[in-house]
Amino acid sequence: MEQDLAFLIPEIMVLLTAVAALVAEMLRRPRLALTASVFGMLLATGFSVLLLGTDTTIFGGTFRIDILGIWAKLILLPTTVLALLLARAELGGTDREGSVYVLICMVTLASLILAAAGDTMLLVLGVLMSGLGSFALVAYPRNDKATEAAMKFFVFASVTSSIMIFGLSYWFGGTGSTLLGDLARLDTSPVIASIGLLAVMVGLGYKASLVPFHFWAPDAYDGAPVSVAAYLSVIPKIGAIFALAQVVRDLPVVTHWPMLIAIVSVLSMSYGYLAALVQNNVVRLLAYSSIAQAGYFLLGIVATGVSPLAFKSIIVFAAAYAAMNLGAFAVVMRVGRRLDLFSALGRKKPVLAIAMVVFLLSLAGIPPLAGFVGKFLLFGASIDAGYTWLAVVAILNSVLSLAVYLRIVVPMYQLSGDDSMPAMATSPTSGLLVKLVWIIALIFTVAIGLAAQPLIENIG
Amino acid sequence: MLPIVSITLFLPLLGALLIMGLRKAPAQLVHGIGILTSGLTLAGAIWMWSRGVADTGFAQVEQIDWMPAIGAAYRVGVDGISLPLVVLSALLFFVTFIYSAKVRERPHAYVVLMLLLETAAIGTFTALDAILFYVFFEVSLVSMYFMIAGWGHEDRQRAALMFFIYTLLGSLPLLLAILGLYLGSDPHTFDIRVWIADPPLTGTAAMLALIAMLFTFAVKTPVFPFHTWLPAAHVQAPAAGSVILAGVMLKFGTYGLIRFALQMTPASFHQAGVIVLIFGVFSALYGAFAALAQNDLKRLIAYTSVNHMGYIIIGVAIAALATDPAIRAIALDGSILQMISHGLVTGALFFAVGMLQDRANTREMDRFGGLLKLTPILGWSFVLAAFASLGLPGLAHFPAEFQIFLATLRVEPAAIIVILGIVITAGLYLKAINQVFLGETNTKWQGMPDLSMRELFTLVPLLLLIVIIGVGPAWLLNVIHKTTIALPF
Repeated sequence: MEQDLAFLIPEIMVLLTAVAALVAEMLRRPRLALTASVFGMLLATGFSVLLLGTDTTIFGGTFRIDILGIWAKLILLPTTVLALLLARAELGGTDREGSVYVLICMVTLASLILAAAGDTMLLVLGVLMSGLGSFALVAYPRNDKATEAAMKFFVFASVTSSIMIFGLSYWFGGTGSTLLGDLARLDTSPVIASIGLLAVMVGLGYKASLVPFHFWAPDAYDGAPVSVAAYLSVIPKIGAIFALAQVVRDLPVVTHWPMLIAIVSVLSMSYGYLAALVQNNVVRLLAYSSIAQAGYFLLGIVATGVSPLAFKSIIVFAAAYAAMNLGAFAVVMRVGRRLDLFSALGRKKPVLAIAMVVFLLSLAGIPPLAGFVGKFLLFGASIDAGYTWLAVVAILNSVLSLAVYLRIVVPMYQLSGDDSMPAMATSPTSGLLVKLVWIIALIFTVAIGLAAQPLIENIG
Repeated sequence: MLPIVSITLFLPLLGALLIMGLRKAPAQLVHGIGILTSGLTLAGAIWMWSRGVADTGFAQVEQIDWMPAIGAAYRVGVDGISLPLVVLSALLFFVTFIYSAKVRERPHAYVVLMLLLETAAIGTFTALDAILFYVFFEVSLVSMYFMIAGWGHEDRQRAALMFFIYTLLGSLPLLLAILGLYLGSDPHTFDIRVWIADPPLTGTAAMLALIAMLFTFAVKTPVFPFHTWLPAAHVQAPAAGSVILAGVMLKFGTYGLIRFALQMTPASFHQAGVIVLIFGVFSALYGAFAALAQNDLKRLIAYTSVNHMGYIIIGVAIAALATDPAIRAIALDGSILQMISHGLVTGALFFAVGMLQDRANTREMDRFGGLLKLTPILGWSFVLAAFASLGLPGLAHFPAEFQIFLATLRVEPAAIIVILGIVITAGLYLKAINQVFLGETNTKWQGMPDLSMRELFTLVPLLLLIVIIGVGPAWLLNVIHKTTIALPF
């Protein structure tokens, strides 16, 4: 038992951090709450490094200390630090600022639980907990738009979560256990296994904003503060994707889950980019792009159990996605939500513009950036698993994605046209913190791309 | 050993970064950096030339591992096919920078884009890794898009977009072909040398890959019926953009045709050779006839490009069809020499037209007349380049086209009908020279200045090379032939 708890130190650290931030917030000391959160996350990251190489389960198999769980901590905890800094830059000085940090820590904890879940009940706990925190974060500005977005989000989440819990009861009925490790017993009862799988796809699909469970995402991102949208597009999504990988690794193939996931993947990639093509709001555009990126993750999940690249590719892409997506959102915070605000950015803010180009090209999967390495490994994993057609669809979508991201890049370097564009949005977020965040994200986006080989070797 | 290929490749990029850092620099300084950087790049390319090529395979290979696990690496190197194209690109960029020193409209962005384009062009020709090749191939596209959209003429936005969409969609099949070749190679690698030494695909897969590659390179070359973007892009592009587009970027298509289609799927190309040959013949004739109908000098030259590139397609197709290695080498020698000649000749022609337009603000042939008396140097330069373009013996196109036709006669005599194209181009150039430079002097152009020093520096190197290659092409052909005679298939 004591040993089991020792494996949980990072999660416990995050929980204690959230409590400490809560106390600081109650004392009306938001800066203290921020400092506590940042240091708590960094400390937890440090403890997670010590776990590298471990592969075991604790508490009777309900919680997994494996490659997915550990790398989820190593990716999500530092990313949370960046998200906290973004939140400070945008929401600093507002009433109850500290509660944002508390909620962010709690949602991160929920995502870590999802990523390491070895039990259906932990899946439910993770989905509900991250949902609760996310609603409050979206509704934080307390204006009509944010409230409406949070309401939509809440209703959607309630329904999908209920469906998931309902479906999980079939699995419990079939196996007599809530452990994911016992799912293999379902190989003689495909119907029960499939019903449960569909329900889990609904629940986790909503968390990861996969088509057709994505409807909440663009509205919620657009209604929420940009920093919250940045956070929601990265951390809960990666948590849910990892959870899906945890589920399917034990699922018997009689359910034909790879085909189901491949179809959802195609739908997410294609719909996400097609919808992104017509957006004029950069936050909504990035929301649809993040739906498509979630579809790319599924290429790795399809290969679970078949290809040695499966988890590796998911982890590398998760790290790449966290850096490039957060970076892109940080630039949006600096510039503004409207697409026309980006015109001539290349002249006004050349370095910021180059950073944005790097993030967007990386999202599109252009070598030698991080997104390329991640996507390439994902393609490799799905081809390894015999899903070459899926990889071809993904590559075609990558070309489509170039059109999506160039819609932001081209006006930035619009050479013709007048210079008398409206001045850059002067928001309170023009601080050093945003700059710090996009610079760190830029370094990681480039470094993961260039130093891909050591990273790949060190995973798993 | 100094990594001279990489230095040459990234020098322009360094220059571009330097200019981006000097945002307050005056236009002269910016152009000076551009000329200096491209001059050093040219020096690097000549240094590469002096190191020469290997008897088989690639020489001067430089490699840095990137992701050994997936067989991707930074690899560059040259052989007798790519080395002349590298030198041609470096030269054309150098004279383009000299010509462009007059640009006062956003000079920073202009020079940065041109330098970026230079790195992309040299990278496309030297890349020995398929991913690297593809990236350079696409970067060149983006830079050229901004070049046309930013400094073009009246209808530039539409032409730039057309160019962009055409070639972006056009390069998609190449990506699929690269994926196929990658999956077919064992162990998986993106190394172009491995793909050439041991073609990874056979049978239907190879044929599909070949069709995909043919499509991509046909758009880029361009071959009828995928050529419609070319006249639009050329007419709207600034003169410097036209020179680079015709002189360097069209060669991506024919270079890819040899490097990828011919070398990586040789058996399939042999099967499909006749169809490619028909496309080439038709394209050459179509280009000649279409050029005959133009009144705009730039459109005229653009269509003669379609004609000249058609000859290259014929040469490559004949090389694929030929079974005798000697004939194959002759056809390829001709094709590659034709690429170089076309770069020089068309470059000179577009410069001359650009200089004419700078003075008269029009390119309509029927509005000129008798210019030879007013601007003799410009006039004779145009006449020389035009004679070279129509294939006059002693000038650059003649040895190239002669070899292509020679090989054609030996392999597919019926295709020699394309020689008709030469007659038509002769006619249309004589008509153009007659309208623009001979006859009554239009009083409107009285007092038109002849070439300035800057313009002379631009044109003279190209004209000199046109004559040198026309009179004695051996020094160039020897390098090309060393590689083509040793091709393994």
